[in-house]
Amino acid sequence: MTVLLWILGILAIPTLLFVLWLAWVFVKEYVKESRSPSAEGNSEAAEKFGLLPPERQNTDHAAPLPADWAAALSAVRGGEWRPAADVLRGIGRDWERRSAAAYLLAEHAAEDDTWLLGWETEHPDDPDAALVRARSTVILAWEIRGAQRANHTTREQFEGFHRMLARSREEIARAAALNPDDPTPYITEIWVALGLGYPNSEMDKLWADITARAPHHYEAHFSALQYWCAKWRGSERLATEFAERAAADAPLGSLLTALPLIAHYEHDESEDSAVDRTPEMVARVDAALADAAAADPAHPRLPELRHLLAYYLSLQDRDEAALEQFKLVDGYVNALPWRYRGDMAEYYCGVRDASAAAVAAAAGPNA
Amino acid sequence: MGATPRALRAVALLLGFHALNLVLLAALAALDAAALRWAPGPVAGKIVVVSVLLAIPVVRGMFMLRTPKDEDVAGLPVTEADEPRLWALVRELADTAGTRAPDRIVLTGDVNAGVTERPRLLGLLPGPRRLHLGIPLMTGLSEAQLRAVLAHEYGHFTGGDTRLSAVVVRGRTQIERVIGQLHAKAGHTAAKERARQEKAAAKAAAKGREAKEIDTSGAGLTYRAMARIYTLYGNFYLRASLTTARDQEYAADLAAARIAGRDATSSALREIPALATAHDFYLECYATLGVRARLMPPRGEFFGGFGRMLSARALELVQLRTQLPDEPASPYDSHPPIAERVRRIEALPADGRTEEAKGGALDLLTDSERTLTALEDVVLTEEARTFRRTADWDELLDAAMAAALTSLDTPLHRALAFYTKDRPTLPGLLTVIDDGQLWRLAQRLPLSDEAAAAKGRAFREFVRPVMRDSLRSMALAEFSAHSLVRWEFSWERAATPHLPGSTADGGEDTEAGAVLDAAVDAALADRPDTGPLRALLPPARTA
Repeated sequence: MTVLLWILGILAIPTLLFVLWLAWVFVKEYVKESRSPSAEGNSEAAEKFGLLPPERQNTDHAAPLPADWAAALSAVRGGEWRPAADVLRGIGRDWERRSAAAYLLAEHAAEDDTWLLGWETEHPDDPDAALVRARSTVILAWEIRGAQRANHTTREQFEGFHRMLARSREEIARAAALNPDDPTPYITEIWVALGLGYPNSEMDKLWADITARAPHHYEAHFSALQYWCAKWRGSERLATEFAERAAADAPLGSLLTALPLIAHYEHDESEDSAVDRTPEMVARVDAALADAAAADPAHPRLPELRHLLAYYLSLQDRDEAALEQFKLVDGYVNALPWRYRGDMAEYYCGVRDASAAAVAAAAGPNA
Repeated sequence: MGATPRALRAVALLLGFHALNLVLLAALAALDAAALRWAPGPVAGKIVVVSVLLAIPVVRGMFMLRTPKDEDVAGLPVTEADEPRLWALVRELADTAGTRAPDRIVLTGDVNAGVTERPRLLGLLPGPRRLHLGIPLMTGLSEAQLRAVLAHEYGHFTGGDTRLSAVVVRGRTQIERVIGQLHAKAGHTAAKERARQEKAAAKAAAKGREAKEIDTSGAGLTYRAMARIYTLYGNFYLRASLTTARDQEYAADLAAARIAGRDATSSALREIPALATAHDFYLECYATLGVRARLMPPRGEFFGGFGRMLSARALELVQLRTQLPDEPASPYDSHPPIAERVRRIEALPADGRTEEAKGGALDLLTDSERTLTALEDVVLTEEARTFRRTADWDELLDAAMAAALTSLDTPLHRALAFYTKDRPTLPGLLTVIDDGQLWRLAQRLPLSDEAAAAKGRAFREFVRPVMRDSLRSMALAEFSAHSLVRWEFSWERAATPHLPGSTADGGEDTEAGAVLDAAVDAALADRPDTGPLRALLPPARTA
């Protein structure tokens, strides 16, 4: 009889351990639950500063579009291409704006290009239409590939991807020939280089073509940095070197101080924010703050830098300064670092609200 | 391990095989005795029957009373009077190797050569030897390379310092045979059981009862259990003898290099895997091209075409020769990786015998054309022999392609039939395109998840490759139906269709590729234009 009791006793030990573990998990969940009211408190603070809840954040853009751009985009949705042609003609040789506007139009043409076909039929050699065509094919290629890693991408997707990229090369060459001064076709080609895996030597040649036309172009640098990242055709060292050199060589106000921040973000796999608070990172953020202050307030890429700044300022507990950036961009969240997440609006609001709550707490209960 | 312990081990392992047989038979006998003594009558009867059935393959394995018929490779036996030069070569090499020449030579239809010996007295005494020689192998090898292959085979009989080395190989074959027989019996039993259950299920279904799921996993279980015992012993045997087996391969290679020359041996080793690959390709793309149309190449060409293809595709062969497999086919493969064998042979000092016997091995035959024709009659299946022989390869290609195009059934055919509820024809498809319904039709194609989820341009790009291939085939089928397409036969590359040229070209027909592709692309463009394709098609028949 005692033997039986002993056996039962031994068998009881794992059961007891399991019950204890279950209780611990339960308590942990309860604590987590009871902490969420404080998150609610955060969003209350954000609301007090006039910031919008996640459901009212625009996830298509990083900032409001200029009125004529928005009008042109809604016109192409209705099949009408003339306002789009007017926008690009009006922008002329402002390469920063040209590349940004052409990208937005090309995004639409990648879904449905009926309007673009109409434009091309009427003006067969229009360099603006040729540019949108080339960009749209590259965007289409990436859409066919999908955003999954290579091992989750099917053969059919890869074949379509490579076929589209191969076709886009001809279209890029044509757009470049129709407007020889324009760096945008070459900037478009960087995404072909990523997809087809241009050797670094080819990429350097392409880069020379771009910098000869626009030495400190934001989108060009942003795209090239992607190429040099470890996940594409470079490494952490190559990406960081590229970013630091670009930031150091660029005049104040060109926004290229964003590059070292992006390079850091792309290769950061740490779990906590210690690596984001190093003196080096603080100096990078300071440089970017000065850059943003000196930039043309209408620079189409300024909001993207502000999003990055707000993120890193918040991580560095410089909540006052972070909140200032958040206030300037609030309402539009399609920018790094939020963009990489499925729940970009929630992610953005979570970080923003933490900073808002910290500022509110520092100001005291009377504020 | 020295030669004597190795020989002793070989004998021990082979004796172990026979001991295993005896133990198993004794166990079965004991079981029977016990059953007869203690078990009730019907049960005992069943046990005895099962044990006798199980004993049969074991006894057969021990004595190999007869080689199962299907192990006989179909082939053409040739006598010394038929092929004096081949026989002379075979004898001369056997002499040089210091072993007995084979008693028979059989020409076969595969890329293979081998000397087999039927074992006698539990595999301890040599039996009659037979040389199998694949005609496709001879087609691809020079005389010197063939000498190397034969010398290698003889090397197995003289290899090591003892003739008992053959005992190992023989033991392995015997174990394999017993396992094979047991598995075949198990498969046969399972098939019988399946047939019985299917019949029962059909009866049940006819009476409106729900049929039991057919399960044959139990049938043949006893045979499989026996096979398992032998497989375990076989694995042990192989592990114990594998290094020996591989060393014997190297030794046989060395013997071949000594007898036939270093370069001939290494090049033969490179050549054989390349020839095997090429021959598979030849069979699929040339020799059996017309099977579906019940056509065969002209007499003598079934084997004769291979040589022509080899000379036309010499460049591709060079590539195949340089890509040697550097892993053994399986962990139990007695042959070391070819790459390693080639490396060892090529590491030998040059022997200056590069210029020997450079003629084709096939030229050893007295009348190779007659032999190839005769071989067809032996090797081809009964059914294939009744197929009509075409006058030449061009006719075979034309007829085969026409037959394939007549019964053409692409995904686009099925989608079109589904969409229009009409017989899928090219004019019907062109009408759908002209009505701007192409991409609606495309949604009826079998689509991957990604393609089904895509919209707009992305969707069109996903389906375009399938549409292009299908439409191209449909167009070719239409030309073919009007006898407007001519296929260009080539030993070097895939067959290319030719279309009658426009009158401007003076009626000379042109390669269909570029023109047809452009017309197909136009018909499938974002703004489809069926004009170019319609222009290529024959004028519509008046109904």
